[in-house]
Amino acid sequence: MLKKTHLVYLPLIGVLGSVAMLHAADQPKSGEQIYQEQCARCHGAQGEGVKEEYSQPLQRRHSLDELRKIIDETMPADHPEACVGEDANRVAQFVFDTIYVRNDSLRPRVELSRLTVRQYANSVTDLLGGFLGQKWPDDKRGLQARYFKEHGFGGDKLAFERTDAKVEFDFADKSPDPEKIGSEEFAIRWQGGVIAEETGEYEFIVRTENGTRLWVNDPEKPLVDASVRSGDEKDHRGSIRLIAGRVYYLRLEYFKFKDKTASVALEWQTPRRARQTIPERNLTPGRFPYCFVLQSPFPPDDSSMGYERGTAVSAEWNAAQAKAALEVARFVVSSADRLAGTKEDAPDRAARWKDLCYRFAERAFRRPLDAEQRAACVDRHWEGKDPQTAMRNTILVTLMSPQFLYPDLGSGECDDFTVAARLAIALWDSLPDDALREAAANGQLRSEDQVSAQVRRMLQDPRTKTKVRSFFHKWLPMERLADISRDKERFPGFDPLVVADLRTSLDLFLDEVAWGGHSDFRQLLLADDLFLNDRLSKFYASEPINGPAFQKVKVSSVQRAGILTHPCLMTGLAYYNASSPIHRGVFLARSVLGRTLKAPPIAVSPIDEGVNPDMTTRERVSSQTSPPVCQSCHGMINALGFTLESYDAVGRFRELEKGRKVDATGSYRTLAGEETRFENARQLAEYLANSPEVHRAFVQQLFQYMVAQPVNAYGVDRLDQFTDRFTQSQFQIPPLLVDILTVSALHKHSKENSS
Amino acid sequence: MNTAKSRREFLRDLGISAAAIPFVLNLPSIALAEAAPRKQRLVIMFSPNGIVPPNFWPDETGEAFKLKDILTPLAPYRSRMLMLQGISNKVRGDGDNHMRGMGCLLTGIELFPGNVQGGSHTPAGWASGLSIDQEIARFLQSRPDKQTRFGSLEFGIGVPDRADPWTRLVYAGPNKPVAPEMDPYQMLAKLYGQAQDGESLRSVLDEVRSDLEKVRGKISAEDRRVLEEHETFVRAMEQDLQRDAQTPQPARPPEIEAGVKNNNDNLPKLSQMQIDLLVHSFVADFARVATLQITNSVGNAHMRWLGIEEGHHELSHHPDSQTESQEKLVKINRWYCEQLAYLAKRLQETPDPSGSGTLLDNTTIVWTNELGKGNSHTLDNIPFVLVGNGLGFRMGRAEKYDNVPHNRLLIAMAHAMGHPIETFGNRELSKDGPLSGLT
Repeated sequence: MLKKTHLVYLPLIGVLGSVAMLHAADQPKSGEQIYQEQCARCHGAQGEGVKEEYSQPLQRRHSLDELRKIIDETMPADHPEACVGEDANRVAQFVFDTIYVRNDSLRPRVELSRLTVRQYANSVTDLLGGFLGQKWPDDKRGLQARYFKEHGFGGDKLAFERTDAKVEFDFADKSPDPEKIGSEEFAIRWQGGVIAEETGEYEFIVRTENGTRLWVNDPEKPLVDASVRSGDEKDHRGSIRLIAGRVYYLRLEYFKFKDKTASVALEWQTPRRARQTIPERNLTPGRFPYCFVLQSPFPPDDSSMGYERGTAVSAEWNAAQAKAALEVARFVVSSADRLAGTKEDAPDRAARWKDLCYRFAERAFRRPLDAEQRAACVDRHWEGKDPQTAMRNTILVTLMSPQFLYPDLGSGECDDFTVAARLAIALWDSLPDDALREAAANGQLRSEDQVSAQVRRMLQDPRTKTKVRSFFHKWLPMERLADISRDKERFPGFDPLVVADLRTSLDLFLDEVAWGGHSDFRQLLLADDLFLNDRLSKFYASEPINGPAFQKVKVSSVQRAGILTHPCLMTGLAYYNASSPIHRGVFLARSVLGRTLKAPPIAVSPIDEGVNPDMTTRERVSSQTSPPVCQSCHGMINALGFTLESYDAVGRFRELEKGRKVDATGSYRTLAGEETRFENARQLAEYLANSPEVHRAFVQQLFQYMVAQPVNAYGVDRLDQFTDRFTQSQFQIPPLLVDILTVSALHKHSKENSS
Repeated sequence: MNTAKSRREFLRDLGISAAAIPFVLNLPSIALAEAAPRKQRLVIMFSPNGIVPPNFWPDETGEAFKLKDILTPLAPYRSRMLMLQGISNKVRGDGDNHMRGMGCLLTGIELFPGNVQGGSHTPAGWASGLSIDQEIARFLQSRPDKQTRFGSLEFGIGVPDRADPWTRLVYAGPNKPVAPEMDPYQMLAKLYGQAQDGESLRSVLDEVRSDLEKVRGKISAEDRRVLEEHETFVRAMEQDLQRDAQTPQPARPPEIEAGVKNNNDNLPKLSQMQIDLLVHSFVADFARVATLQITNSVGNAHMRWLGIEEGHHELSHHPDSQTESQEKLVKINRWYCEQLAYLAKRLQETPDPSGSGTLLDNTTIVWTNELGKGNSHTLDNIPFVLVGNGLGFRMGRAEKYDNVPHNRLLIAMAHAMGHPIETFGNRELSKDGPLSGLT
């Protein structure tokens, strides 16, 4: 074996090589020698990497066995046959024992991070929520409705009350209830909360030919005021920014008076979904307090690692946080009496205001103030200043302080308050709530059991669900669905409302897998049911469903397998008029299997379908990626992506493409070199659901999204430990979150300086 | 000249910036203009995904050139425009052509290696140097007689809300991309923001700074770097506010339409609003350098207002043989050209407040792109169309160069703005000095 290798290698390395070889023939070379001769050129003499060759340092990423296999089969990259068998074993041993150990010090560390954009917004909402009052919705849905006999809302005119699932009525020239109300004039008031699932600008539209006013979030100031009807305009609009996962005050007043007909609908256009009647699941009865929503924009965070992180600051960010602090300060000053629980003429008003300042800073800093902080943050500004100026400056100093902006800064030690701060940031992107603050104050966040118990409590909070959902949206590249359009001739009926419903369908599925009674990660890949409503059942030709509410429908397990074949994802990973096996394959390789893909060596634009209209998509992609230089990655990408060829550019199942039977066979070869073949998407799903590579990749991505730090900064074996326990728990997601959160919150960050 | 100069120095000693002088002296600005050199201004406008060469480049060179259909909106400015063909972005290194086309366009220097992967080639990070607009702005700010409140302004139109090498054109330094302001309302607030806010901030910043200093001691050396950087931004903010407080606002804020949302279908409206604000900021002498970034590299605007459903980037990949797509691309590029024409028109009809002619007489707009051509992804023949007389180039002609590095044009722009730098960006590519034949 050794001899043969050298014979092949000899002509390639020329004279110098042959001298070395003569020596080697007598005595086998050490792993280090082989490394220096064959590997150092690209990986550097110390495994530090070589610019323009392989620039990444060699770090502990593989087991010894894996290393052996990789070196044996693929290294050196230009002549994989030059180092095999015993040579490969020795190099692997050397890399494992020496290079890895040396490079362990290059391991990523937990970096000091400022609040991300999302964390800043949620933190100020909850900070002020502590004074404004906060309430989360229960399981009831719809709005409380009060029907009045006249066009005013006087209590004595109340005819009856009920709950309406949504607001979408056409009374024509009739009464809402002829037995209790006349048809000439009447009024209705709907009240409750509206649940926002996305962050961004919402447009609310009241559609009516009668009079109306709508309040959203702010009970004082109507968002839409069309109590005077004027012209033929039936759509009355108002825009407002809302942040995801929260419920906002809503009141709609509507009346008929002197009009021939009556109808009313409450619609919205959310940041990412088409205009539609606000669905029942986004409405809840009850009364909700005002919720402060930050309007100031921030520059987007760096998310190049797959999660938003705040490890860098810039002049733009600094200006943005100053503006945000000004915005909050303006609000606090203008609502100070309400927040401080006092009145303009109260004798102790100034003292109450000052007390509000202490409490504000304490919540913002996530720990009690020491004497110095009380003096610097609050007292100093109250000397000889009017209360407005004093209050404004206190709020500004508090929010611009590193103690607020860098949540892990704490007191410099990892104490109970630090643990509380970390838990709230990682699970909620926000500040500790009262229960957490209390636990920290009582010294009850020290042991793993104590912290795990807190995490389990916090998992029930809607903010956790919002964060986990946003993780899924990042993991599944949902941003690809933004502003999507499809060839209208080829996909008639595929309109923005179908896209909106697809998003909802996927969200319902993700929530169920994560939080349902039988949370099991594998179901993400295996489930053979889909959430469908009337519109989707029609478009995707399943058994008919009545009404816009979603129902879980069993589908053919040959045709569907969890997220992999979910029409939402299949549509996102496709082109204007064709499927895209490459996008699908890259998603499977990178996101699901956690594989690193090398960069494409040459720039290629997809061949247009028109060039050879008879080719199937599979044939087109195969032909374009056939050069050997492409195949090193596309061998894997295509073979994975092709298994999803049974789903067209809008995610419909198909057996034929261009009149020919779709070939959805594919294969996958693990890092360790084991190859598996698949007949279709279902077989792929079965394989992935049981693949340790997939479990590990999922755990890593979930950890990093939640904690916003690299997982190996928490220990070389950390990822393996999490993955093992995840496997033992039968892949339940909530215990995995408990594990991740407990370990990361209690972690003692190294403070040593590494030069 | 002498009188004007000594007056300026006197006022500066009192802490009043040059921009405010005409107002303080309560003089008609014309009185100063006779003595002062003209105020040169530069706007760089970007649109993405390459152009359609046969419908863009003229067949003739020299003064006899004819406008191809993409450029027809510039007909009224034909005698004041200059088309430069044969200028190539020769910067190589990491990043795919879209990334380098963008990140090296105004910087003329390689991207750092990084972890952002394009559609091909190696992954890359941000550009490793500052962009020419920032270089020029920095020079102007270093000269008391050329100083303005902002130095430069960065306008964006339809730039997606994410930071990556495809969305960032302007760099304040290596690894320092500058986010363009996409929201006209925020830009309005920046230009004419409330003095009260500045006053409040000014009263707390020294405390914020000492707070940052205090916590630095508690953390590791690597982490300290972030806080130190944070502190320098706080200090810079203090200085800006100081300057601000001393500058009376010389122009009334413009009226802009309320409630226009930042979305794809509003691009025409947003573009007009941003251009109007840009012109206002020149009138007020808030800055003499501006960038106007329409979407981003690989920008995928859906120009439904032109009856085009597909995204621009998607279409730009279609082959030359697909005439229908090419016609759409011509329309799309003509729309970008219309934005340029609107800016030129607004500058042309606005008298220069310093007294000499119109703003267009003292402003040059440079329209450029990250690629030469969309479906080939070439960085050769990058479009450069100049309009207006700010740089003092000889206008009214089309010039053809023989594949010269674009660094030389960047250098020539700095020279024309009175800043004679020897090289810019990559040294090797700059070695032949400023591009010749421009004046």
